[in-house]
Amino acid sequence: MDKMIYSILSVKKDPEKLDTLLRSLKGIAGADLYAVSSDQISAVVSDINRPDLIANNSNAIDYAGVIETLARKFTLLPMRFGSVMDSIGSINNMLVKNYSEIQNNLQKVENKYEFGLKVFCDPEKLMSELSLESEATNETLQTSYSEMKTSVYREYVNEKLKEHKKEEILLSYVDSVIAELTEFLSQLNTLKKIKKMTSAKNIIDAVFLLKKEDKNELIQAVEDFQSKYPRLNFILTGPWPPYNFVDITIK
Amino acid sequence: MNNNVIDQSKDITILELLDRVLNKGVILTGDLVISVADIDLVYLGVKLMLSSVETMEQLKSGKLINTK
Amino acid sequence: MSKNKILCNTGTVDLSIKDISDEFDQIINKEESRLKLSPDNADSGLAKLVLTLVELIRKLVEKQAMRRVDGGSLTDDEIERLGETLMKLEMKMEELKKYFNLTDRDLNINLGPLGDLM
Repeated sequence: MDKMIYSILSVKKDPEKLDTLLRSLKGIAGADLYAVSSDQISAVVSDINRPDLIANNSNAIDYAGVIETLARKFTLLPMRFGSVMDSIGSINNMLVKNYSEIQNNLQKVENKYEFGLKVFCDPEKLMSELSLESEATNETLQTSYSEMKTSVYREYVNEKLKEHKKEEILLSYVDSVIAELTEFLSQLNTLKKIKKMTSAKNIIDAVFLLKKEDKNELIQAVEDFQSKYPRLNFILTGPWPPYNFVDITIK
Repeated sequence: MNNNVIDQSKDITILELLDRVLNKGVILTGDLVISVADIDLVYLGVKLMLSSVETMEQLKSGKLINTK
Repeated sequence: MSKNKILCNTGTVDLSIKDISDEFDQIINKEESRLKLSPDNADSGLAKLVLTLVELIRKLVEKQAMRRVDGGSLTDDEIERLGETLMKLEMKMEELKKYFNLTDRDLNINLGPLGDLM
């Protein structure tokens, strides 16, 4: 039978605590959970039949639920859904081969939680506000039009140029919001990963890794920040296990 | 209106959760991956390739337009 | 597992779950994606991959070109020829998309603002 891995955790001196906890939980398709250990790290595993391995909402949520419960008691690295190996032996080999990288990552996330912040805008309203502010743009465009004789190709370029300028304006606005956000959060010792403009409305998609004790400070900081930008929406979620801060690929 | 807020919260939570568990976390290579995730890996590979700095250097060198 | 992870959800923008889940449609509707890459229609699966790459490169080339036009370093003739090339390129892509029955959404790789890739 195949083995589904939920997470790799740091057990240190208390393997019984883990076993007790695993006995009280169930994995996907109601399977029992057990640990495969190597020195101070353990993989949490359940047996799984291939046909049960479907990435539907219910399985994914169950999987995440197991990780969530474990994360409350142990420092861990969450695995991606679909992390399957063929035997306990393979899992053991994998733990041994990747031991130090796993340990490094466990240390990185010890006592820390992940939080996600997404910032949304109304693209049309935002663009019209920003365009009004940027009078220089309008001037330049008018110059382009008057000095050149038009042709199909030139008009095409003009259209594309207009779009390009709009994007640049938006981008520079987003950059300034991010710079301010970074400044705001600089007192919190946090790792961050920030993506810009992942969709028309989502201008910032960020994740933070910080100490559990700092959670309220983060919430306060985001609320303060929101009041400076009333026309943007801020959605802060968490605490999460450190899904976004474990970028190791295990062979 | 209260109901909408509560439902939206639940939906958002689930979406955030699904994004993490399906798209993030530690990845195993070389072993069994479910068929749905195969598509992820194809696109993961493409994304890595496209983000590579070497590809972008060529575009940056400004030799795009044949001015002669 | 706690059903609500929201710590802060404020603002004046009207958002639907679709706005928030824009990225996720590709995950959750994977059945459709999977069909496009099965052995039966390997052609269109491969086409999707290739065209996604081509489209990305086309957009990057266009972006770079616009920066040069904006920078004012091109002559009128150069701008003219640039316009012709870019326009034909875009038209060709439209043809290919139609031929393989692919939408812009199908070809979307989100790497953030293209400006950052250059």
